[in-house]
Amino acid sequence: MRVAALSLAILVTITAAQAQQNPALTGEPLIGAVPEVNPLETEADIKQGAALFQTHCSYCHGGRGEGGRGADLTAGEYRMGGSDRELFKTIRIGVPGSEMPAVRVSDDEIWRLVGYVKRLGSQGLLEKAPGDAVVGEALYAKNGCSGCHKIRQSGTDLGPALDDIGRRRGLVFLEQSLVKPEAYVANAFRAIQVLLKSGETVAGVRLNEDDLSVQLRDLGGNLRSFSKDNIREIRRDKPSLMPPYEGLNKEELANLVAYLNSLRGTR
Amino acid sequence: MTIRYVAALAGLVAAAAWNLSGQGLPISSDRLLKAADEPGNWLMYSHTYNSWRFSNLNEITTANVKNLRVKWLFQGRHIEKFETTPLVVNGIMYLTRPENAIYALDAATGRQMWMYEYRNPPRTFNCCGRVNRGLAISGNTLFMNTLDMHVVAVDARSGHEIWKTEMYDYTEAGGYAAPGAPLVVKDKLIVGMAGGERGVSGFLDAYDTKTGKRLWRFHTIPQPGEPNFGTWAGDSWKTGGVTTWNNGSYDPETNTLFWGTSNPWPDYNDDFRAGDNLYSCSVLALDPDTGKLKWFFQFTPHDLHDWDSTQIPILLETQFRGENRKALAWANRNGFYYLLDRTTGKFLTAKAFVKQTWAKGFDNNGRPELIPGNEPTPEGNDRVWPGVDGGTNWMSHSYSPLTRLLYIFAREEHRMFSKNEVPHPTTEPEANAIAAPTTIAQANAGAYDPAIGGAISRAVGMPEESWGKVIAVDPGTGNIKWEHRVLTPPWGGVMATAGNLVFGGTLEGMIFALNATTGERLWTFSSNGPVFASPISYTANGKQLISIPAGDLIVTFGLD
Repeated sequence: MRVAALSLAILVTITAAQAQQNPALTGEPLIGAVPEVNPLETEADIKQGAALFQTHCSYCHGGRGEGGRGADLTAGEYRMGGSDRELFKTIRIGVPGSEMPAVRVSDDEIWRLVGYVKRLGSQGLLEKAPGDAVVGEALYAKNGCSGCHKIRQSGTDLGPALDDIGRRRGLVFLEQSLVKPEAYVANAFRAIQVLLKSGETVAGVRLNEDDLSVQLRDLGGNLRSFSKDNIREIRRDKPSLMPPYEGLNKEELANLVAYLNSLRGTR
Repeated sequence: MTIRYVAALAGLVAAAAWNLSGQGLPISSDRLLKAADEPGNWLMYSHTYNSWRFSNLNEITTANVKNLRVKWLFQGRHIEKFETTPLVVNGIMYLTRPENAIYALDAATGRQMWMYEYRNPPRTFNCCGRVNRGLAISGNTLFMNTLDMHVVAVDARSGHEIWKTEMYDYTEAGGYAAPGAPLVVKDKLIVGMAGGERGVSGFLDAYDTKTGKRLWRFHTIPQPGEPNFGTWAGDSWKTGGVTTWNNGSYDPETNTLFWGTSNPWPDYNDDFRAGDNLYSCSVLALDPDTGKLKWFFQFTPHDLHDWDSTQIPILLETQFRGENRKALAWANRNGFYYLLDRTTGKFLTAKAFVKQTWAKGFDNNGRPELIPGNEPTPEGNDRVWPGVDGGTNWMSHSYSPLTRLLYIFAREEHRMFSKNEVPHPTTEPEANAIAAPTTIAQANAGAYDPAIGGAISRAVGMPEESWGKVIAVDPGTGNIKWEHRVLTPPWGGVMATAGNLVFGGTLEGMIFALNATTGERLWTFSSNGPVFASPISYTANGKQLISIPAGDLIVTFGLD
């Protein structure tokens, strides 16, 4: 049984990853009229929702909704809105342009997930960052993070914008991203090097790819597209442009994580 | 190792310094003024400020157009159709997909670079679909209007939102919306709005492109104390509609912005809105720096047929009675082609380009002399030509400086116009909530169906009694030089090119190229998706391409 559940979780992950591989698949599918209020919110429904959550959501959002690669769901704050209908839509179609995929289950199952997700959100933040966010902000500046990241329009777009990173990632994940960034690189930010037949090499972040062409944002921020007819080789051996910040001591790391955790966006 | 890595990376970034000259960014005011000098790009809705929608590219010609083939498709994957005009800057296409998403594509392959999605509330109030018609660009920033009355600025390089400004509360009156494309003039973003079927009060806005701060608002219905206040009976001005939902044009020589306005509300029932109802169904000539009105011309005084004058203004020089005139050419929804002097607004001439039943002629000031019997009636009046959707509508016309002809994709049809009771919004207080709901809940409850605007207009007659036609018009006289007929009245616009071609698409999805001199059809493609937009042309990797939306696809053609 556990093996089956694990296999399913892996399958879901792979499917989600494939959806990410092809951003064209992130368009909004047809969706019918959705009731404003959750029609399936009995204790039995929520219990079923909890089981569905373990299968479909926990890989990113954590077994207790504490977040990780995905958002911490225990705060009851939702980027795409927290009404029953908005949560339904977010689970049904995902968040286009983000790592959150559409969850391919029945409408009834989505409503049960909505009920459980709201239950998770009613418990208050499970995990609080122990570090000092103010000191962490100074570390962010000192380490030149804005050379690649942007917060409130300050910085560049080479790496992911961090305006609401505290809402999108859990604490453990944030720490790992600093120490060992190559452990997980979002598909939208995977670094490649394109070696052209002309002799030129172009490095950047891969935006899209198929059998005929590859698109990237180069290190100057330019959107570039190359026909594979003109490419000698694409190198993918260094998927992260971010260096590992191994030199930070434990306290500094905690402070930086606390700062990142405090970034919750404007919505 | 870390320090070395960071230093190396920082060096790379610093060396590149986000210098996007290789990508054609930033877009300066000067480049927008000289957009015609960049035929490989498409920098604004109508290509150039004079709104000719004319492409100077000539790789595709009358001789080789038969060899055109599909280069790529972009799938919107949305229940709503495309009505957008994409922008293209040095091989990158930026387009809006319903409802309010922006995509950056490689214009050579259609492959996606990034996407941005603005989420509207579950219920918004655009009259005619959850659509968007396109973007504007300035510097490195794209601008989009939203169905819930916001304007958003998005970084063209990354797709990240830069600022977002609420224009107006979209739930006021029967509901406001902003489906059109904005227009950049110097450091200002000019933005229109919709809601003419919902008892709103219209305006045209200008925002600071850098900050999103509103710089001026022009009320399209004169407010108390302003000139022309009093052209609406009683308090009808408060709910009179007069919106600005399409795009405009700009004449840098006289620093004048031209923008068309919609119908007065209620559309077909004038019981409590006696008067000319200024500035409905008009063209406004505004100072873009201040929003001050220079002059206006009202095409249809006291409109009763929803004949919006929200067509794209076309600025051209033409011979009129032996004199060269700086003119404004306007093929109006009411079925008449107008020529105005664009420096003064003086009426020069008008001529019907489709069958019309409502005007005998015009006085020297361009005021129509009405033919009785065209008013909407309680039992329904089916003798009125053109119909509610007009002889033209919002889709773009095109002017070729090579043939000196104006190309119009016109609609020949008539409709049933009927008049229903509309409670007076201010003197019948018990009905007030019905006439103009104050909450979304009221609107949702269906107590009020604002889309009707006091009447029902529906198609009448057999299919063969209505049709579409591309016509080539001599702008100085309004004479039709040739006509190319298609099966049904269109919702797509046209684009002329220096290859002596006119491109467009039909409601059935036939995409076509005509000989611009003769109207002969030279090439077709069956997309089988309704065309609700106008074509563009640009280059990618040095090759001329043509893109046109059809249904929820963007279809792109080129030669091998």
